[in-house]
Amino acid sequence: MRKKQCVAMLLAGGQGSRLGILTKNVAKPAVPYGGKYRIIDFPLSNCTNSGIDVVGVLTQYRPLELNAYIGSGSPWDLDLANGGVFVLPPYQTGKTGEWYKGTANAIYQNIPFIEQWDPDYVLVLSGDHIYKMDYNAMLRAHIAKGADLTIAVREVPWEEAPRFGILNTDENNQITEFEEKPAHPKSNKASMGVYIFSWSKMRKYLELDEADPNSDNDFGKNIIPSMLADGQKLFTYTFDGYWKDVGTIESLWEANMDLLEMPMPIDLYDKRWRIFARTSGMPPHYVDAGAKVVNSLITEGCEVKGVVNHSVLFAGVEVDTGAEITDAVVMPGAVIERGAVVRRTIVAENAHICAGAVVGEETGKIAVVGPKACIGPGEKVAAGVQVDADAQ
Amino acid sequence: MKDVMGLIYTGENDIHLGELTSLRAVAALPIAGRYRIIDFQLSSMVHTGIKNVGVITQKNYSSLMDHIGSGREWDLHGKQGLTILPPFLTRENMGVYSGLLDALKSNTNFLRLSTQEYIVLTNSHTVYNIDFTDALRQHVESGADVTMLYSRGAKSSGTEGENDTYLSVDDEGRVTGMEIGSAVPTRDCACLKIYITRRELLRQLVEQGAANGMHDFERDILQRNINNDSLKVYGYEYKGLACQIDSIQSYFNFNMSLLDAEVRRQLFPKERPVYTKVRDDLPARYIDESQCSNSLVANGCVIEGTVINSILFRGVKIAKGAVVKNSIIMQDAQIQEGAEIDHCILDKQSVIRRNGRLIAPAAYPIVIAKNVVI
Repeated sequence: MRKKQCVAMLLAGGQGSRLGILTKNVAKPAVPYGGKYRIIDFPLSNCTNSGIDVVGVLTQYRPLELNAYIGSGSPWDLDLANGGVFVLPPYQTGKTGEWYKGTANAIYQNIPFIEQWDPDYVLVLSGDHIYKMDYNAMLRAHIAKGADLTIAVREVPWEEAPRFGILNTDENNQITEFEEKPAHPKSNKASMGVYIFSWSKMRKYLELDEADPNSDNDFGKNIIPSMLADGQKLFTYTFDGYWKDVGTIESLWEANMDLLEMPMPIDLYDKRWRIFARTSGMPPHYVDAGAKVVNSLITEGCEVKGVVNHSVLFAGVEVDTGAEITDAVVMPGAVIERGAVVRRTIVAENAHICAGAVVGEETGKIAVVGPKACIGPGEKVAAGVQVDADAQ
Repeated sequence: MKDVMGLIYTGENDIHLGELTSLRAVAALPIAGRYRIIDFQLSSMVHTGIKNVGVITQKNYSSLMDHIGSGREWDLHGKQGLTILPPFLTRENMGVYSGLLDALKSNTNFLRLSTQEYIVLTNSHTVYNIDFTDALRQHVESGADVTMLYSRGAKSSGTEGENDTYLSVDDEGRVTGMEIGSAVPTRDCACLKIYITRRELLRQLVEQGAANGMHDFERDILQRNINNDSLKVYGYEYKGLACQIDSIQSYFNFNMSLLDAEVRRQLFPKERPVYTKVRDDLPARYIDESQCSNSLVANGCVIEGTVINSILFRGVKIAKGAVVKNSIIMQDAQIQEGAEIDHCILDKQSVIRRNGRLIAPAAYPIVIAKNVVI
């Protein structure tokens, strides 16, 4: 394998338990978003667009759907003879072998994978956010500063700062202190969980961390503080584009609704920074003579005969005559029968809402109809309720 | 793996498609909102289990090559996969084929180097979604030399029948007569120009035909051998949908027929998706003022105006106050504010400027060529 300047490691092993029923059977990065994407399309496409062509995807929780989705990596042009996307589950070595214990341990266990490429730098990503970012610009900043670690940050509103990992810096953006969820923040620079390490330093600190039996093997809790304590050169890199956490039901719904704003706060029409995705191969969507579609995103394969207002419909969704969908996110293959009413709801893949059912409410928390769940004829689902197919 | 290969001939007569095929082969003609015609032939072959497909190209094949690329979208990028067979200059041949037989003669090497026992040979101007497995089974069981797929029921493509071939088929399924290019056909089995035979037999027929100075596969090989009973030629009735696209009217009518749910169900069954080149557009966008009725809309479209009884390909923009009726709009075309069109076919990237009006009679849709601004 030929040398690469920078390889990316995408942490995709977390359960994403705050997404409830939506991540019961799939890893969070495989959760559908924006009509035709999955969350992982954003970091993968960013890598491709940034010229980073080795991406290790660290999986652990419910990896089947994610693995199938990534496949050979061809949708992201990551099916390469020298490089590409590699799914990296934990594995056994001799008589030992263990699960990924933490974010740092996941990378530690894959040191042999990284060494194959003899990289100078390692980019660490997560599969939790919707954003378009040029990692190569961040890498240039990392090199220009002679940094050991560069952490991408966003300047968040001060009142929200206590919810984030906050980085205090000097006037040159060199990091002086890292505080996890500080009650009285001294800075509003929130870590995005996007790191560029110089590989030799990273390797050293991963090995030190692994040798410490009391460590949680976590970048935020262990690696960053110990590098700071040793006086290594840590810098922030400010990113000011659209960046949305999709780690909760409410935020996933909001991030979908953001795409209905005019203009779209994240420009997905940009031909120079395409977000790639594996597609369903369905014909164009059909809008019936009696249908009404306003202020919505509709994907190929949909058949719309009812009313769709301020909603995002994924591939192959059917909305029958007289059904009304408002402020909803309807994932692939879901069926909304005649006369059903759906409001402020995430309808998951292949869910079925029977005739006359009423799901969600005009206000209040977002309702969720889980994958393959069925809401019976005339049934009601209140705001904030999650319907699990397995409990039915 | 099935012991069968595929071969698609893309050099057919396109004179009645006018401007639509002035810069592209019929096979590369955009159709059904996001496809090219060849997607249907390639996908049918792939769903049949065929792994080795040759595409014989003739003129203007750059858009076709660009579209099919390595064949990856059809899973034809494997060890055998897709072979594009462009015309080439030889001592005997100027690279211009005077018919299918001529084209096959130039590509006998591809036939010789392939390893499969059987071959499905098809044209590129008929749209269908067929699993050929059953026809192959019949071909083998009947002991036929050649099996010709046909469908019953008349069709009129507005070309005086010059591209049509009709068959008479007896009770045993044997083809007893063939009628080529007749304006008033007397037979009722429309030949789909999909032939199944043995690869080696095809190669022999082609070599013999060429040695005897023949050019036309249908007349000189099939019809002649049917008439003098020297080949066992059987028919296979295909009962599903198949539509020949060989004129502007047939192109328009076929696209409009897709507004019927039953036609879409036949052409796009869930178990046999039609693959095409991926464009990475986001879903279609509707705003508060959008009005859309009885239409097919592909990804990447932005609809701010009114769309009725129409087919919009990927990336089409309909501005506020624009009205589109009974029209087919190919990818990345734009209808600007206040413009109005009816019964139009807009080729790729064409633009109808602000407040422009283009109203054609139903019987004679207007074609606006690629990149034209009106």
